[in-house]
Amino acid sequence: MKIKPKLFTLSCFLLLSFGMFAQGPPIFTETPIMLGVEGRGVRTFGNIVQKENASAYIQPIAIPYNITNKWQVGAVVPFVSISPKGISTNSGIGDVNLFVKRQLYQIDGKAKTLRGLLKITETLPTGKTSETPPLGGDAWQTNISLVNGYVTTKFGVYSEIGYTVKGNNLRDNFIYNFAFGLPLLPQKYPPKQLNMYLEFNGMYDFDGIGNTLFISPGLQFIAGRKFLLESGIQLPLDQAAPKEQQTDYILRIGTRILIF
Amino acid sequence: MNKSIIILLVVFSFSISAASAQEGTKLSGTVNVEVNGLSCPFCAYGLEKNLKSIPNIEKISIDVEEAFVTLIIKEGQFVFEKDIKKKVKDAGFTAGDIKEITNE
Repeated sequence: MKIKPKLFTLSCFLLLSFGMFAQGPPIFTETPIMLGVEGRGVRTFGNIVQKENASAYIQPIAIPYNITNKWQVGAVVPFVSISPKGISTNSGIGDVNLFVKRQLYQIDGKAKTLRGLLKITETLPTGKTSETPPLGGDAWQTNISLVNGYVTTKFGVYSEIGYTVKGNNLRDNFIYNFAFGLPLLPQKYPPKQLNMYLEFNGMYDFDGIGNTLFISPGLQFIAGRKFLLESGIQLPLDQAAPKEQQTDYILRIGTRILIF
Repeated sequence: MNKSIIILLVVFSFSISAASAQEGTKLSGTVNVEVNGLSCPFCAYGLEKNLKSIPNIEKISIDVEEAFVTLIIKEGQFVFEKDIKKKVKDAGFTAGDIKEITNE
């Protein structure tokens, strides 16, 4: 069986985007709305990744903290379990991400906002690579992303473009995400809200794999002031990767909790 | 002697007006605050939390569709307009018009 374990692990991580918090933010795309001063929360979700040559379960725990209303820092610690076909499962802590966000602009109107932010994420090679399959990419990576969004009480449109520079002689990649969100229930507070999302999540990998694009429908239920549940599935629209490395689907089930 | 008293009174009145200008507008009763940028119920929690930290506020209700917050201020008490504006900004939004709806 042809398998490139490091590439598999890397692609699993790169297909995950860690949109942190806000409105009902999109499920797979970053949001430009932050939490406000001293705002903090916890986001976790389970990702079931099904590929031609392997399956994986990834459970990141993300903890953002707003230093001011324009600066946010945070960390993402993933638990990873990878089961390649014909090889025993390997589980443990994967590559840890540290990130900082800076609000670039904010134009507020009545029941609407247009915002943009810059996000820098540093991926630390903390996932064990001494065993097969490896739990990390074995490389330092720096991603710089520009996140924009126009959000009203009627709908939300979000976009994210980013470039990742990788160490250890790995080639860079380019990330592009787009999301459209629609509230299905009247907007009120305290919230009991159902949001529907349609997202497109893409990545162009310069190491020869090429382009990957997913369509990602999802549903989100906001159950109260501080708690939401969400689920989405990513289905491939375009995959230039070799057949054995292609992704069949990624299923995400998650929750976000505000802990001010 | 009379001249000294007049000078003292002038200095005193200046210091009082300077202090009250620094404190800003006092609001009491029920107050409506327009909050621009409020476009989602889940992000309203930070707004509620920040406004709750202002002393003398008894009750807060948030209307997301109409984008305003109603504050009920404790009887006999007041809050400064500038404190409300600061808390709205801290929560990541922009304060619009702030009006007393009822005054005791």
